[in-house]
Amino acid sequence: MSDTSNELISWNLNGEVVQNESGMTIMEAAKAHGIEIPCFCYHPGLSIAGNCRICMVESNRSPKPIISCSERIAEGLEIQTDSEKAVDARDSVMEFQLINHPLDCPVCDKAGECVLQDHSYEHGPDRSRFVEDKNIRHTKELGPTIDIWGNRCIVCTRCVRFCDEISGTSELCVVERGDRSVVDVFPGIPIDNAMAGNTVDICPVGALISTDFKYEARVWNMDRTTSVCGGCSRGCNVEVEALDGFVKRLMPRENLDVNDWWMCDHGRYGWRHLYADSRQVTAQTTEGSVLPAEASKALQQTLESSSSTGFLVDPFMTCEELHLVKQLADSMTGSRVAGWLPADGTEESFPGGFTISAAKYPNRKGVEEIFGADVFGSAASTLLNDIASGSVDTVVAFVGGHGFDGAGAEWNAALSSAKNRVVFTTQQGAWSEGAHLVLPATAPLEKEGVWINEDNRAQRVRSCRSLTDQNFPSELVILQEVQAHMELRSRSLSAAGVFRELSESSSAFEGHSHSSLGDHGTPLSQKPAAVGSEGGES
Amino acid sequence: MANHEETPEEKPETATTEPREKATFGMPLIKGLANTLSHILRNEPNTIHYPAEKRTPFPGYRGEHRLKRDELGREKCVACFLCSTACPAHCIEIVAEEAPWGDREKRPRLFNIDMMRCIYCGMCEEACPCDAIELTPVYNIPSRSRGEKIYNKEKLLSL
Repeated sequence: MSDTSNELISWNLNGEVVQNESGMTIMEAAKAHGIEIPCFCYHPGLSIAGNCRICMVESNRSPKPIISCSERIAEGLEIQTDSEKAVDARDSVMEFQLINHPLDCPVCDKAGECVLQDHSYEHGPDRSRFVEDKNIRHTKELGPTIDIWGNRCIVCTRCVRFCDEISGTSELCVVERGDRSVVDVFPGIPIDNAMAGNTVDICPVGALISTDFKYEARVWNMDRTTSVCGGCSRGCNVEVEALDGFVKRLMPRENLDVNDWWMCDHGRYGWRHLYADSRQVTAQTTEGSVLPAEASKALQQTLESSSSTGFLVDPFMTCEELHLVKQLADSMTGSRVAGWLPADGTEESFPGGFTISAAKYPNRKGVEEIFGADVFGSAASTLLNDIASGSVDTVVAFVGGHGFDGAGAEWNAALSSAKNRVVFTTQQGAWSEGAHLVLPATAPLEKEGVWINEDNRAQRVRSCRSLTDQNFPSELVILQEVQAHMELRSRSLSAAGVFRELSESSSAFEGHSHSSLGDHGTPLSQKPAAVGSEGGES
Repeated sequence: MANHEETPEEKPETATTEPREKATFGMPLIKGLANTLSHILRNEPNTIHYPAEKRTPFPGYRGEHRLKRDELGREKCVACFLCSTACPAHCIEIVAEEAPWGDREKRPRLFNIDMMRCIYCGMCEEACPCDAIELTPVYNIPSRSRGEKIYNKEKLLSL
C-alpha cells in the first residue's frame, strides 16, 4: 500500500455517498463504514487471491456481481452489498462451498470459531439440493504439529499463501484439480517451520488442525485472557485459552505494532512448563512447609534479621513486582539489587517481517528502567563478588520464567554458596534446594502487570489463572504483605494500583496507567493524553 | 391517546368500587362433601401401593439416562459435547479421546452425569446428533451415597 496516495474518492455504498482513500479495496472501504462483507480467502496479512467468491457485491459497472476483496474503489462507483443480486450470489456461493463439505461440525475442533459455520448461518441457504456422493479427500499428517482433514478444505489457499509470503518456507501447495483439489505437502517435506501453527489459526474451516490441541476442548467452553507471550523480548500479543483454569492453547492476537496477526510455535506450544512436575507450588523452609498465609511473615523475619541483603531480580518480573522490590531494597540499609538474564537463543526472521528475538527476556527494559541500566552489568558482577566474599548476609533471588535451568550456571552456583537465601522460583532445582526459604513464583502467563518489550513498548500482561486455581498468593501480594509487616505500606493494592504508584514515582512511567496502555500497549516514550483531567476529582 | 381524548365516554368504568356479590357457601359445601362421600362408598383407591405395585410411565417420560451402543457393541457417543453444551444444569462432564476405530474420530474417555444436579429436561437427548444418549422411563433410582449418583460412562452404557 506504499503507492497509495491520500486522495479521497467519493463512491456510493448501499445508496449513500461515502468517501475513502484511493487504492482501498471495496471490502476494506466498506468495513471502514461499518459494513462487513463476508470472506474466506481474504486475510488482511496476506496477498489477495479472490478465489472463494463469497464477497460478491453488485456494481453499477459490471453486469455480473464483482468480488469486493480485490476490486478497488473508484470515483462514481456504486456498490450494493445487500441487493437481491448480491444476496443471491452469496447464497449460491455458500451452497457451492457446502457441496463437498462434510457435516461433521460436532466432531470438528474448529466448530464454534469456524468462518464457514458463521457464514453458512448468516448467508447460506438452509438446505442443500446436492444429492450425489461427496468427494473423499485425504486425512493425513502434514507435519509434526499439523494434520489435515482434506474433506473439510474449501481451498481458500490462505495457508499456502502464508507459507509462501509470511514464513517463506513454501511447504504447502494445492494438489489435484477441480472439486478434488486439496492442500498437501510435497513428498518427504513436512510443514515444519517455526510459524507453522499460524496456518491452523487462519484456516477458515477445520481442515488444518493442530495436533497439540486436537480433541482437547470445544472452543466455546474455554475462558479467554488477553495477555503477552513471555517466550522472547518481542512480546507477541496472545490470547490464553483455558478450560476450567487449565491452559489449553495460545492464540496470537492482532497487534500491528508488534506481531501483526502471528506468533511463533515456540511461544504457541511453550506453556507446558506451567504444569511441569518440578513446579514449585508450596512455600518451604529447611524445617518444613509454610502455610500460604505465613509465607510473608517468614520472609519479613528473614529480611529483618539480615544485616546486608542482596536482591536478585529476573527479567520475567512485571514492572509492578520490580517496583515493590525497589521499595523494599530502598528501605533496608546495606541492600543492593542485581539481575540475571537467561541465555540467548537464536534469532529467526521471516520474509513476512516477523522476527523471533534471540533475547529471551520479556521485561529486561522494565528492569533497566526501574533499577538503572547497569543492573545486569556491573551491579550483577558486584553482587556475585559479594556473595563469594561473604559480605552479603541474605540473598533474595527471583528465579522465574519458563525455563528449567534456574538463573544460569554461574548464578545457580553463587546462590548455593550464599549464607542465607530466599528463593522465589517457578521450578525446583539446585538453586532452590536447601534454601532458607523457598516461595513459589508466578510464571509468565500467570502474572498480572506490565512488561516492556525490546522496542520499549509497555504492554499489559494478564493472569490466566482462575481464582479457584490460585492456591498460593503471587509475588505481587507477598511483597506487599511484607511491606505491610515492615510498616512501609498501609494497605495492599491491585496490580493497577501498584502501577499507579510506580507512574507517580518514576519519570519514565509518568502518565501511563493500566487503562491507558489498553489491549495493545503503548510505547513508553509516548505519553497518553490526560484522559478526564478536566473532569476533576470526584 | 389523541383518539381516546375525543371520545371520553367510551372509557370503560372501573369495577373496583362495585360491592362484591353476596357469597353463598352452603350449596358448594354440600356438593363437595357429596363428592367425597361417593368416593368413599365406591371403595376404589386413587393411589397405588407403590413398592409392591409399579406405575407404568406415560410414553415420553424422562427418567434415568443411558448411553446407547451401536450394532458392534461400541458406544455411539462421539464426544461432541453438544449435550453438555445444551444442558441447562451443567451436569454432564465429558473428556474426549481419539477413537481406536476408523469410522469416527473421537469417543468419550470420561462421561459423567451428576444425577443429583440433572433436572431431567431431555435437552441432552434432543441435542445429540448421534442418538447416543436417551432418557429411559426408569424413575426409581435411589442410592446410598452421593458418589453413586454420579453416573460414569460404564454405568451409563450398562443401563
